Amino acid sequence: MKLRILGLRRIAALASLAVLTVALAMLAITGTRMALHAKANRTIAALAAGRDLPVELDAPDRLLMARAHFLMIRDRLDEAQPLVDRLAADRSPLAVAALYDLANARLATAISFLEKTEIDPAVPQVRLAKAGYRAALVRAPDFWDAKYNLDIAMRLVRDFPQIEQDQQDEAQETPKRLWTDLPGLPKGLP
Amino acid sequence: MRWSRSLPAARHCRTAALALFGALLAGAPAHAAGVDLYAPRAFGYLIGDTISLEAVVTLDAGWRLDESALPRPRPVTYWLDLKRLDVKPETAPDGAPRYRLTLTYQTFYSPLEPRALDIPAVPLAARKGDARQTLTIPAWTFVSSPLRELVASQRGNPMALQPDIRPRPYPLAGDAQLAAAAAAVAAASLLAFAAASGWGPFAGRSRPFATALRHMRRLPDLDAQLGYEDALQLLHRAFDEAAGQRLFAEDVPGFLALRPALAGEAEAIDRFFTASRIAFFGDAPETAMALLPPEALIDLARKLAAVERRGGTGQGTRKEAA
Repeated sequence: MKLRILGLRRIAALASLAVLTVALAMLAITGTRMALHAKANRTIAALAAGRDLPVELDAPDRLLMARAHFLMIRDRLDEAQPLVDRLAADRSPLAVAALYDLANARLATAISFLEKTEIDPAVPQVRLAKAGYRAALVRAPDFWDAKYNLDIAMRLVRDFPQIEQDQQDEAQETPKRLWTDLPGLPKGLP
Repeated sequence: MRWSRSLPAARHCRTAALALFGALLAGAPAHAAGVDLYAPRAFGYLIGDTISLEAVVTLDAGWRLDESALPRPRPVTYWLDLKRLDVKPETAPDGAPRYRLTLTYQTFYSPLEPRALDIPAVPLAARKGDARQTLTIPAWTFVSSPLRELVASQRGNPMALQPDIRPRPYPLAGDAQLAAAAAAVAAASLLAFAAASGWGPFAGRSRPFATALRHMRRLPDLDAQLGYEDALQLLHRAFDEAAGQRLFAEDVPGFLALRPALAGEAEAIDRFFTASRIAFFGDAPETAMALLPPEALIDLARKLAAVERRGGTGQGTRKEAA
């Protein structure tokens, strides 16, 4: 009789001990994650404030994104590209944003070239921007800002298939973007 | 999906393609192999939109679709990607093998005005042993529309880009809530553990006499010899627990001296110990019941429990004794 009472107390004690262990583990995990995120947030804030802090390639994704954005808006596109590639390869949810932002930076660069009527350096930037918008849209087909900006890029430098292929070939092979041209500057139309 | 699947306009193309050759090779009579194409709306597509075509391929018995001849996700033309292809084997109501192919395309065409575009036909192959036949998912035409004006009608820079997605810091609120909840649960379970293990303020006073009384009342055969002995045992254990040690008859005076609240029951307690000795060690156990009838035993336990409830037998006094 007494045993049963003791048994219940014992079960209650063990159960609460189990809950305690789980809760402490949870606390440790969330606490660690919060500490890591808070540390990353400080770097993100510093980058946003314009301090040129280096970021490793294996850093957390939001930190990579912050560094990439810092580089993009300072026209250091070649330095930003590996960070964006990294985010895209990791299937990070930020990949779309990174691809889109880099494409924006490239397109803005191209437009500034065109405003100076420097066409040769503009064309590859527009093509890279188009590829970036497409990669973003493949991942997020309903990303309207990317559609809009891709449309701008498409009108700057249109894609044309070089060779009309017959239907079977077209279905089997990927026509390469063999030739692009720049039909003219949209700005300054009569 | 943005369109209704059961559009009456769904196009139905039965390509009775195939060739007599296949049928002859297979030695089958006229066969009904064919492809039905179920397409969504054929208009109103913008750059970047996805288009899902569903093709139902019905084959003759014994034939199966050649998986290696299926198209792979890839760029189909410079403006069209095949994003994914899902193949679901089924069985037609008449038992013929059937495949439901879902082809998801994405268009990147940026027309200057609404323009019809073709998704090219897709060749398929079916096999039966060494026999091979080809089938075709027919081409499909849709109208692609421009996203922006051809010439900006509003003032402002027509080349203005949509803004960047700005980098954002990690949100900490969710984790903070989680951590707070975990801390609360940890604290609550620590309290529960302390209560269950009788730690600190949760030690509480055990009530051996009340417990004994409760169990004695549940004994079914208190009036019989065995039940009576069980009841005596229960009260002994209660005394032991109250004293913090085995309590024998000779220890009773010391026990009572430390617990003045029990003085009123001293005589009954003495009688209990005497009756107990007679019951367990005497020559005539039944005389014990005469000395301390079961009702008197219950009565004694009740009185002891009452004193105990008022704190007259509690552990505080036990500590004094120690």
